[in-house]
Amino acid sequence: MEIQVNLDVMMARRKISGGELAEKIGITPANLSILKNNKAKAIRFSTLMALCHELGCQPGDLLEFIDDEPEKGG
Amino acid sequence: MKWTEDRSLVLSQICLGLFALLLAALDIGCYWAVGWFISLRNMPWQNGAALMAVIYLCSVFGWLLLNKLWGLLRNMKKGVVFAEENVRRLRCVSWCCAGAAAVCLLGCAFYLPLLFLSMAAGFMALIVRIVKNVFQQAAAMKSELDFTV
Repeated sequence: MEIQVNLDVMMARRKISGGELAEKIGITPANLSILKNNKAKAIRFSTLMALCHELGCQPGDLLEFIDDEPEKGG
Repeated sequence: MKWTEDRSLVLSQICLGLFALLLAALDIGCYWAVGWFISLRNMPWQNGAALMAVIYLCSVFGWLLLNKLWGLLRNMKKGVVFAEENVRRLRCVSWCCAGAAAVCLLGCAFYLPLLFLSMAAGFMALIVRIVKNVFQQAAAMKSELDFTV
């Protein structure tokens, strides 16, 4: 069970490089890489807002809930 | 003179060095010190031998503890404070204190005042363990903060 960041997909769609995006939203390329590789433990609203603004998308386009646990019976 | 964090760490390292010297002196002079002590107290030689065994066993824990504390101070000097490595070191320090407490408790059978030393070491083990728990929580919080983008 995890939240998957689909930043690489959106970046490919918008044809924008990591360095360029990092510069535009004001974070380091290292931090963008953490986010892109699903290593991040949390994301600030300000970062999410800047990403959505630059990529012209909704938070739901960037974040996806993956439920790999077996469903509870009931 | 302005007292800085670095100087405070250096002072801690000097104190640690002094304790290492004292421990080395105790290891070297244990035989004579115990000999003098048992003659002063008119104790049988068996008790002296047991006292020596207690001192040498505690010394093993002492050296391990000093080594871990030195590593902790070295890491702090490098700016690595709330790290898993330091938590492991503190855990080891706590177990060293607990080990020394257990050895002293066994030594009570031969020399009762060792009970006070055992209690002090046990109490120290408890304090260090709680500090370890604090470091563990702080390390987890730091890790979360480091991976917050």
